Amino acid sequence: MPPIVYYLTTLIVFFFIFAISTWGLNLQFGTAGILNFTYITFFAIGGYFSGVSMLGRPDALSHMRYIMGLGLPFPIALLIGTVASCVLGALVGLVALRRLRSDYLAIVTVSVGAIVYDLVNVNTELFNGADGIAGVPYPFQKALGLDPNTYTLFYVLLAGLFALVLGIVAFRIYNAPLGRTLRAIREDRDVAAAFGKNTYLFQMVAMVVGCAYAGIAGALLIGFISALNPGGWTAGETFLLYAALLLGGRGNNWGALLGAFLLPVLFQEATRYLPQVPGHPELIPAVRNMLVGALLIAILWFRPEGIMPERKARFPRVDFTPRREAAAVD
Amino acid sequence: MLNVMALSLGFGLITASVLALAAVGLSLQFGVTNYINFAYGEFLTLGAYFAWTLSHGLGLNLWLSVGLAALLMGLFGVLLNRFLLKPFTQKGVPLHFLLVVTFGLSLFLSNLILAIWGPNFKTLDLPRETPHRFGLFLFTNSQLTIIAIAAVAMLGVHLLLTRTEIGKAMRAMSDSTDLAQVSGIDTNRITSFTWLVSGALAGLAGIVLVMNINSFQPSFGGEFLFVIFAAVILGGVGSPYGAMLGALVIGLATEMSAIFVNSAYKNDVAFALLILTLLLRPSGIIRMAGKV
Repeated sequence: MPPIVYYLTTLIVFFFIFAISTWGLNLQFGTAGILNFTYITFFAIGGYFSGVSMLGRPDALSHMRYIMGLGLPFPIALLIGTVASCVLGALVGLVALRRLRSDYLAIVTVSVGAIVYDLVNVNTELFNGADGIAGVPYPFQKALGLDPNTYTLFYVLLAGLFALVLGIVAFRIYNAPLGRTLRAIREDRDVAAAFGKNTYLFQMVAMVVGCAYAGIAGALLIGFISALNPGGWTAGETFLLYAALLLGGRGNNWGALLGAFLLPVLFQEATRYLPQVPGHPELIPAVRNMLVGALLIAILWFRPEGIMPERKARFPRVDFTPRREAAAVD
Repeated sequence: MLNVMALSLGFGLITASVLALAAVGLSLQFGVTNYINFAYGEFLTLGAYFAWTLSHGLGLNLWLSVGLAALLMGLFGVLLNRFLLKPFTQKGVPLHFLLVVTFGLSLFLSNLILAIWGPNFKTLDLPRETPHRFGLFLFTNSQLTIIAIAAVAMLGVHLLLTRTEIGKAMRAMSDSTDLAQVSGIDTNRITSFTWLVSGALAGLAGIVLVMNINSFQPSFGGEFLFVIFAAVILGGVGSPYGAMLGALVIGLATEMSAIFVNSAYKNDVAFALLILTLLLRPSGIIRMAGKV
C-alpha cells in the first residue's frame, strides 16, 4: 500500500472516531446542556476496558500489569468498554444531575477526571500506570486472516460502519421526542419540569448515551492504534472536542461532523508539520493547545452558534401592542 | 502513634492554610460574579512562576518577590475581568458559555505557562533550616511563614468584609447584584476589586503551595483545583467564612488520612468529601441563598 494511501486511510479512521466522540458530546452538551468537562475520561475508560478485555493474561515477558486480560474478541470487548464508560457516566450523573446548578456538574466532572487520572497513574495494577497498555491485538485480524499491510483499509470500513450507525442514531435522537425534551431542558429546566418532564431522568439518559458514544470511540481507537496511556487523554483532548463542536455548530449533528473534520483532523494534521524548536520539544504542542483555547473563546465571542447553527423551531409572533388605547386617547 | 498524629495534624494545618487562601479567593469571586472560574488553578500556577521569575530572574529579595507576584496576580485578575469576562457577561451569554470560556482560558493559560517556563521542575530558594519544636509539633520556618501568611490574609479578608464600605458592598452584591445596584453600589467597581482580591489570594496560595511542596512544574495548580473546589463546596459556595471552614476540614482530613491509608490517596479523600457533601448537603456547611 503506498504511504499516501496509508496516511489518508489513517486520517479517515481518526475522522470517524472523532465524529462519534463529537456526536456524543453534542448529545450531552449540545442537546441536553450537560457540562461534562472530562468527556475524554469516558473515552479513555471505554478504551482501557476494551483493551484489557482483548489482551491475554499479563505475562512476565511483556512487563505490563493490568486487570482482566480476558483475551476476548473485539465485539465483546467493545461492549465491556462501552458498559464501563456508561456505568461511570451514570455514577457521575447520580451525584451531579440531581437538582444542582450546571456549574456543580462541571465541578464534579472536573474532579472525577482528576481522580480517575490519578488512580490510573498511581495504581499501576489497573492499566499499567503512566506507561499505559500496548500491544492490543487488532480486531478481526486473526479471525478473518487479514493482511497486515491492508489492514487500515478494513478498519476504515469497520469504523465507518460504526460512524454510520451511531450517526443515524444521533440524528434520530435529536428529532425524537427525547431530543425535543432534552432541548427544552437545556433552554429552561424549570419550564420543562413544569410541563411534567422528569428532567433528572432525561438528563441521565443523555449523560449515559453520550458516555456510550465516548466509550465506543475509545474502543475503536485502541483497536486501531493498539495502545493507550494517560498522556492521550488530558484536559486538552476534551477542549479539542468542545472547540470542534462549538466551531461546527452546537446542537447540530451536521455541525458536529464538520467540526470533527475541521479541528481534530485538519487542524491537528496541519500543525503537526510545524518545525520543532530545538531543545524545546514541548513548545509546539503548547502553542497548538493555546491556539485551540483561544479559538474556543473567539468562537464563543464572534459566532457562538458555530458555522452550521442549530435550526430552531419558529413560532408565529403574537402581537401584544394595545391598539385600542391609542384610539381611545384620540 | 501520638507523634504520628501530631505530625499529620501539623501537615494538616499547613495544607489547610494553603487551601484557605485559595478557597477564600475563589469563593469571594464566585459570590460576587455568580459563576465559577475554571482557570483558577492556573492562577495559582502563574503566581508561583511570577514569584520565581522575580526572585531568580531579576534577583529580587524572596519576600519582596512574593508580595509583588501576589500584586501582579491581582492586577491580572482585574485585567482578565475587564477585557475578557466582563464583555462576555455584558453580552448576556448564558452561564454555560461563560463556564466554557473560563475552561478554554485554563487550557490557554496552562499552555502559555508551559511555553514560557518549560516543563522542568523549578524551586523557590528557601533558606535551609532546622525545624522548631512546639510541644508535639515540628514546624520549619517556611511552614510557620505559610501559616502566618494565611492567618494574616484571613484576618484581612474578615476586616475587609465587616469593617469597610467596599467589603460590605461585596457582601451585598453576593446576596443580590440587582438589589446592590439599585441601592447605589457601583457594581463594576466592586467586581473589579473582587477580581483584584481573588487574583492576589490565588497568587499567594500558589506561592505558599510551592513553598510547601518545594519543587513545581506547570500543571501543579490545575491538579490542585478540585481540592479547592472540595473546600469551597464543603464550606458553602459563595461564603468566605465557609471556605475557611471547608479548607480547615479538607486540609486536616487529607493529611490525617495518611495515617490510615497510603498517602498517594489523600486527594481521593478530598474527592470523597466533595461527593458526600453534594449528596447529603449540597449547600455546604454555611448555606447561601441562590448559589445551589
